Amino acid sequence: MFQPLDPLLHSELRLAVMSLLISTEEAEFPYIKEQTGATAGNLSVQVDKLSAADYIEVEKTFKGKRPCTVCRITDKGRQAFEAYIEALKSYLHK
Amino acid sequence: MEENNNLTAERSLEIITEQIERSRRSITKNSVWSLIWWGSWIIVFSLLIAHLGQAWKDLWGLMLVICAVGQWFISRRKEPAPKSFIGKTIGQVWTTFGLFFGTIGVILGFGGCGVLPAELVLPDGHICLNITSIISLGFGIAATITGFVLENRIMQICGIIAGLGGFFTTMQYPQIDQLYVMAAVAFVGLVIPGLIIKIQTGIKVD
Repeated sequence: MFQPLDPLLHSELRLAVMSLLISTEEAEFPYIKEQTGATAGNLSVQVDKLSAADYIEVEKTFKGKRPCTVCRITDKGRQAFEAYIEALKSYLHK
Repeated sequence: MEENNNLTAERSLEIITEQIERSRRSITKNSVWSLIWWGSWIIVFSLLIAHLGQAWKDLWGLMLVICAVGQWFISRRKEPAPKSFIGKTIGQVWTTFGLFFGTIGVILGFGGCGVLPAELVLPDGHICLNITSIISLGFGIAATITGFVLENRIMQICGIIAGLGGFFTTMQYPQIDQLYVMAAVAFVGLVIPGLIIKIQTGIKVD
């Protein structure tokens, strides 16, 4: 029996963002952009969606005089990611 | 990477693996300059003090200042990497190494120049301490742990060779000549892994 996959995570870019953040404490927006190869606009939209679902928290700070956006995964996001992996297993084991 | 909701399970898994691996690679890349920087200066000062004589051992203090200043610049020009458990662990391993051996060095130094009573620091009758040997071992342990955390086989092997090789080899030589072994330990334990990782990850030399 296939388990349903969380539609919020079942997207290439959002899944990549969550995968980056799962193994880190926090990551800055430019780093995520560079690693995923996404455009700033598209990434921003996807980050907002994840943030609206409370999967990640976004903190806007300053690094010196330059604005700096830091993303970190929340407990809810971690649980959702783990559930996604569990659901994924049901597809891979068939 | 664009918005694509029609992912297969295999593609999902591929994305997850790829991104986790990328973050590990960023941290590995960022550790290269520190390895080469510290390793090179340890070699230079080991050879220098071995050449000039034991009376010049206070030059180690100058080396620490040069390395610390360089490390500050290296940290500033690092490519962006996320704060992670891996990076934190590596930092803590080397901080622990520095803390232990720095403290031992200072206490022994104070004992040697009479600030602390020598008989209290190192009672001759009971203890035979070969500090270069122990530092080599500590070096090797820190480098090997770093290799395991980064899952880098070369660093694991170099750390083991440097640590165990240095520990036993230094005991074969009189005190001042042990510094030549220390230079070799730094070369094998820090510089070689740094250069190999640099070649593997394609970092340019400035």
